[in-house]
Amino acid sequence: MRRYILNRLFQFIPLLIGMTFISFLIIQISPGDYFTQLKMNPEISPETIENMRKLFGLDKPVIIQYFYWLKNIFSFNLGVSFSYHVPVSFLIKVRLKNTIALSIFSIFLTWIISIPLGIYGAIKDKKIQERILSFFAYIGISLPGFFIAMLVIFFISKTAILPLGGTTSIFYENASNFEKFIDYLKHLLVPGLILTLSGIGSLYRLMKNNFLETLNSPYIFTAYAKGIPTYKIYFKHALRNAINPMITIFGYELSGILSGAGLVEIITGWPGMGRLVLEGVLSFDLYLVMASLLIGGILLILGNLLADILLALTDPRVRLR
Amino acid sequence: MEKLLSVKKIVVGNQQVKILRDISFEVKEKEIVSIVGESGCGKSMTLRTIIKLLPKNLEILSGEIYFDRIEIRKYNEMEKIRGKEIGMVFQEPSSYLNPLFTIGNQIEESIKENISKKEKKEKIVNILKEIGLSPNVYYQYPHQLSGGMQQRAMIAMSLINKPKLLLADEPTTALDVTTAFGIINLLKNLISKYGLSIIFVTHDISLARYISDKIIVMYAGMILEKGNADLVYNKPLHPYTQKLITCLPEKYKKGEKIRTIEGEVPSFKNLPIGCPFSPRCEYRQKLCEEKIPEEIEVDNRIVRCIRYGNFMEN
Repeated sequence: MRRYILNRLFQFIPLLIGMTFISFLIIQISPGDYFTQLKMNPEISPETIENMRKLFGLDKPVIIQYFYWLKNIFSFNLGVSFSYHVPVSFLIKVRLKNTIALSIFSIFLTWIISIPLGIYGAIKDKKIQERILSFFAYIGISLPGFFIAMLVIFFISKTAILPLGGTTSIFYENASNFEKFIDYLKHLLVPGLILTLSGIGSLYRLMKNNFLETLNSPYIFTAYAKGIPTYKIYFKHALRNAINPMITIFGYELSGILSGAGLVEIITGWPGMGRLVLEGVLSFDLYLVMASLLIGGILLILGNLLADILLALTDPRVRLR
Repeated sequence: MEKLLSVKKIVVGNQQVKILRDISFEVKEKEIVSIVGESGCGKSMTLRTIIKLLPKNLEILSGEIYFDRIEIRKYNEMEKIRGKEIGMVFQEPSSYLNPLFTIGNQIEESIKENISKKEKKEKIVNILKEIGLSPNVYYQYPHQLSGGMQQRAMIAMSLINKPKLLLADEPTTALDVTTAFGIINLLKNLISKYGLSIIFVTHDISLARYISDKIIVMYAGMILEKGNADLVYNKPLHPYTQKLITCLPEKYKKGEKIRTIEGEVPSFKNLPIGCPFSPRCEYRQKLCEEKIPEEIEVDNRIVRCIRYGNFMEN
């Protein structure tokens, strides 16, 4: 098992290089760069712009630029942001923490709610309980995320039970560590809830359908014919089999930690990667965008690896290979 | 010999269709009864009716099932009977075994006795040996076994509680001939060793004669003929049984054309009003298409055909 994991991690290096190379190429091939916009400004002379281009290494051919960037990556240097004039790593440190906190919080909440609901829906299939659940799931799937966000924000601002925007309250500086944590959580709750609400519907439906399909398998019939109590059939035989396809989905979900929350972050004013990267893309802030792509790629790969490891743990047929 | 199971005039279905009609038969202790018939004639449904594991849209509409003096139809604690008193073996062991659990684990959970884990393991290893599997199989997953080994594991699983009755739903259909033969002989040996009765469902009427004491011929959810295996095989009375036997490969001379039964099995949604076999029967009379024949005893067996008896009152 350890060898398998090491092997997989090793394969990731060429994969990451390929991925970043293509993204770099696409960004640089598209017309214009950060400094094109500066040309509009009559107060900045063309010479200054040329000098700045040289300073950031943008006068060299794209391939060379890429290898400079790659060399820096291997010494853990993500480069400098054009628009903020600070190292990218400094810029994204806090925001990355916020985004990851938000994503993990909402993924955890989504799964912990929708998996049991899915099982319940499958067990009560075609009964009134399932119809009600599925009705709400349909609503959840059909409403766009931003609309759910607006509804929640409207509700919160009317009732004022939770703080909106930012990560901290005014008293934050003088609070104890525990109070700081609680305050952070309270701020996290609004964007977290929005993400959870928009994710439950589809995950519930997936889990319900998986579980239903498993309940129709021949080996479930065997279990009934063996006289095993129904609860044991559900939670031993069916659950293990139904959860398998969900593990792969879980791996993908982990890769969406960075990008998945972008829109909600912008709407609720949560200072995460979302707005930063969006502005970075719009203004051709090359190294900032590359950093976010790189982290996204690493997360995608780690998420898939984690899913494969979990799958091998639950399914003996995968373990063999 | 005492009666172990008796099924009396069972009708299974729902508002739209009747899958089983007027099914009655008996199984005595230490007896092997075979149910033969084409695909989709209700053989498996008969087995599922006995342990009350019918699909959700079907139910027992009328009739009685007695197992060991228990009226199954009114009995509400089927968990106590399934697996303990009545074991079941299926057609495709690979899909009827849970892929995620070891054979040991799957046999262990069917043990109904209250004994320690160690004793359970001992018991499982013993039965694995008896059934012709290595004790190592205890730690193996279904996908690591061949089809024949899987079927043996399945049989071990159904026999672990020493049931009185074994329901075998085409246990050899998915296996190759030599493996199937091994399984058949194993089943035959088990009867003398465990004193168990078997209901054996199969397409193969010559296999049925080889293995069983009694043959039941089913067609479109009805029993057309039942009786002593040799008698039914050597001197079939019902036109359907006769046709089935003349079609057997061992009945051909070299170079002869393959015989088939003309026509198709009727679908359950569109059953003939009269005798279900009447559209394909060469002895068909006008009344056959209008009324269902009664079961009648002729020549030491029961047959449902107008040539030997009367029609049922609808």
